Amino acid sequence: MLGKGYQLPQQVTYRGMIWLLAAQLVVMLPFAFYLPIWLIPVMLASAYWRIRVLKGHSAQPRLVLRLLVIALGISGVLISGMTLLSLDTMVSMLLLGFAFKSLEAITQRDALVVVFIGFFLVAISFLFSQSIPAGAYGVFSLIVLTGALIANQQSPAQQISLHATRSSLKMASVMLLQCVPLMVLVFIFMPRFSPLWSIPSFESHAKTGITDSMAPGDIANLSKSDELAFRASFDGRLPQANELYWRGLVLNNFDGKSWQQLPNKYDTDELKSQLQYNMAWSDANVSVQGEPFKYEVIYEKTGQPWMFTLTPTTRVDGQTVKYGDYRVMARSDIQSPLMVNAVSYPDSKRDLELSAQVRALALQLPATGDEKTRTFAKALRERSISDSDYIEKVLTRFTEKSYFYTLRPPLLGDEDTIDAFLFDSKKGFCSHYSGSFVFMMRAVGIPARIVVGYLGGEWNEGGDYLSVRQYDAHAWAEVWLKGEGWRRVDPTSRVAPSRVEGGLEAAVEYEGSFLEGNLFAARNFKWLDGIREKMDAMQYGWRRWVLGYDRESQTNLLKSILDRMSAVPLAALIGALFLGIFLLWFVMLGLFRRQTYEAYEHQLYRKFCKQLQKLGVLREPHQTPHEFALIASEQLPDKAAAIHAFTSLYQQLCYIPNGDFERDKPHQKMRKLLRELK
Amino acid sequence: MDRRLPRAKEITLTQKKIFILPSKISLGLMVIIFLLFLVGINFQNSLVYIVCFWLIALLVINIFYTYRNLAGLTIKAISAAPCFAGEKMVLELEVSRPVKLRKSAIYFGWKNEDLVELNLQEAQSTRIKLSHSSDKRGRFNPPRIDIFTRFPTGLNTAWSYATMDINGVVYPEPIEKKQGAEKQNSDEEANDGQEIAGGTSDFAGIREYQAGDSPKHIHWGQYAKTGELYTKSFVDYESHDVWLDWQSLNISGTESRLSHLCAMVLNFHESQRQYGLRIPGKEIQPNKGEAHKVRCLTALALYGLPQDEAA
Repeated sequence: MLGKGYQLPQQVTYRGMIWLLAAQLVVMLPFAFYLPIWLIPVMLASAYWRIRVLKGHSAQPRLVLRLLVIALGISGVLISGMTLLSLDTMVSMLLLGFAFKSLEAITQRDALVVVFIGFFLVAISFLFSQSIPAGAYGVFSLIVLTGALIANQQSPAQQISLHATRSSLKMASVMLLQCVPLMVLVFIFMPRFSPLWSIPSFESHAKTGITDSMAPGDIANLSKSDELAFRASFDGRLPQANELYWRGLVLNNFDGKSWQQLPNKYDTDELKSQLQYNMAWSDANVSVQGEPFKYEVIYEKTGQPWMFTLTPTTRVDGQTVKYGDYRVMARSDIQSPLMVNAVSYPDSKRDLELSAQVRALALQLPATGDEKTRTFAKALRERSISDSDYIEKVLTRFTEKSYFYTLRPPLLGDEDTIDAFLFDSKKGFCSHYSGSFVFMMRAVGIPARIVVGYLGGEWNEGGDYLSVRQYDAHAWAEVWLKGEGWRRVDPTSRVAPSRVEGGLEAAVEYEGSFLEGNLFAARNFKWLDGIREKMDAMQYGWRRWVLGYDRESQTNLLKSILDRMSAVPLAALIGALFLGIFLLWFVMLGLFRRQTYEAYEHQLYRKFCKQLQKLGVLREPHQTPHEFALIASEQLPDKAAAIHAFTSLYQQLCYIPNGDFERDKPHQKMRKLLRELK
Repeated sequence: MDRRLPRAKEITLTQKKIFILPSKISLGLMVIIFLLFLVGINFQNSLVYIVCFWLIALLVINIFYTYRNLAGLTIKAISAAPCFAGEKMVLELEVSRPVKLRKSAIYFGWKNEDLVELNLQEAQSTRIKLSHSSDKRGRFNPPRIDIFTRFPTGLNTAWSYATMDINGVVYPEPIEKKQGAEKQNSDEEANDGQEIAGGTSDFAGIREYQAGDSPKHIHWGQYAKTGELYTKSFVDYESHDVWLDWQSLNISGTESRLSHLCAMVLNFHESQRQYGLRIPGKEIQPNKGEAHKVRCLTALALYGLPQDEAA
């Protein structure tokens, strides 16, 4: 094809190189948050080196030196404590290669490759963060990269100037902006697939939120964070405050100090198989009653598989699993915001029959320890007429014997923590209350367990959605009663009823410990509430419509469209949309109006020349209109008058730009003369 | 192809005349897009999808942009400067753009001959010169010009061809034949002409300096040797009608004769002598000057070729 046989410029221009280096810097910057920070100085150093070479201050680094630098870089990545085959290592290596690329002289072709890798890295940065600022920065990076592409195609004669830089940037921005409609269309309609293979995880992704075990005080730590856990919006009826118990995990095993899920500690995969083995989900165990809640939840990235739903969840879509302890878990750790739809029937009865495994788990107690509590519990049960009565008596004790709900509980030592809490300190947080309650149930043979999750949440101004934050973390209890199944009991609600109705902030108002030590939490600045609300709504929209748009959302959208129209018109509509975008581009790029921006008199003069050409007089490029008129009238004596009149009108219009011709209507006269020439 | 792109004095690149294809390097971007799609699927990450689709859109819109960079470009042939066979023929073109469509980094060229880069940013039109080697005398029709661009991103190549309806005259290669033949045959002996003293053309000798002599004519070399000023004296020849006659040449071969005559024309022109040209079928009366030279050379260039009478 073309290109062969031509001496096209091969090397990147100085200007192009500066653009490339700037783009590299822009692309690599956000990775400093997640990966070894020394990658940035390495990149800067090689960029500096390159610029010196370009300016002729340094020699081209030799191969040996380059290899040495590369080897150093690779060992640097490995020394930074990364394992060989993790994603972080791979991304670091990619970044390193990206930075070192500028050590060698590069051709225009290489420049394009550098930009392409830059595009790839921009996308990869979204595996680390998907916040709105990260998104905005990503768009900026794309613009700079595209600008670098353009700058590398421009003529070598173009100098580095503010004007040239601005024009490249502007062109890049306009191009990318014009791409948006097509991008959105593809984003909406491009089929989505389930993951093709399991992916390595990120080491640098910190696990946040609720953990899988609970010692007294654990949840109090979470209460210091106002980070978002998830958001939920409801379709149909809205739950009351005392119905918003978001179940996350169930803790069965107590070792005398802390609670965990099962007698042994498992990693996520083992845990799932244990749960599947001991308490697989079965529809038969739930007798559905009452009205359902239908809701949609968008979970924030936690790096953990826990999901939080209302109990019992009978239907949930997406990559999720339900288990027999009424929890829902994600199939893989939540590494990016995850949206699911769920249905729960809160009035249902659960597990009217209790399986032997579950019963055993729900009655487990350490062989010894907390003897005082055990004795006390047995005595109290003797005095009660039924299990229900006993439960009530235990709960009443929390209200009557001056227990306090506090975020600053005293330390309880290492042994007999339940005794210490129940009989001495009497000051505690939800984990203390639920833990000691379950202990007292199990001490008298009532199956009981702790549920950890979130309680409540905050409705946005319009009441469209509920935001649940880390400080809403909560632990409560479940007891199993014959004929009733599992019953939710929240001992904390007896001590601090305001925790349920007004949230944590209200419950600890008296001691002012809400978000203590978190000086900059926006919650602590009341005057920021309006802005916070707006930001929050924006975040929600971002999560809901951008990050949460997955296979299910796409299916739902298509279904709702297909309800209104059949497949053929839909396909036609999509086709028309694509066509519309192309037409729009044609118009935007000015490809339809070929000559219309030429002044009218010039258009008329061109017609005039064409007409005379038909009559046999061709205007040579060097002839002025006047010369041409002389020649033409010589050859066409009968038209001489018209030719001269037309030419003089044209010249007036051209060379007396501010003349007042409006009265004379020169264009009209020109058109008339043109007709005479035919 | 030739019907789509006829030979013309003025060519405007319209939709029918512009071709466009992805460049090889854009395959690299397609690979990146594919990888990003896989990453998007495996991490179920909407923003990765967005970057992926944005790049697809960029690839597509780029076709429009590259097309636009050629669209509406008007190429007008201005001149094809005459040259001698074996030299480069220079074609001058005027390239102009529609008012609203700026142009960057457009290449004009002939393969293995010449390549010119064109930018029309502020200016509406500009002139460029392209050169093409010529191998034989006659009328030279410049071959099809390749016009191509990769602007703005290098992901696509848009190209078109322009075959300009203009021709230039290629004069025979001037080769003087030293066969002694000329002395005998042509009545061109220069010294037969009457010398006109005080001329400016031919060096005649030196004489002592006289007041009023032009300092240009002072013989500085002699001054350096002798310390006396001498003036170089020149003569002009008022030639008789010197004829360069085809018939009187003792050289075989049409082309050799033409080459020789060409060289002679140049010689005589340089020495500002009056000369006429006589070749079979054409006789040019003795004269001198630039226009005369061109007429003679053109006659030599077109000798024996069809249509040369019309030209």
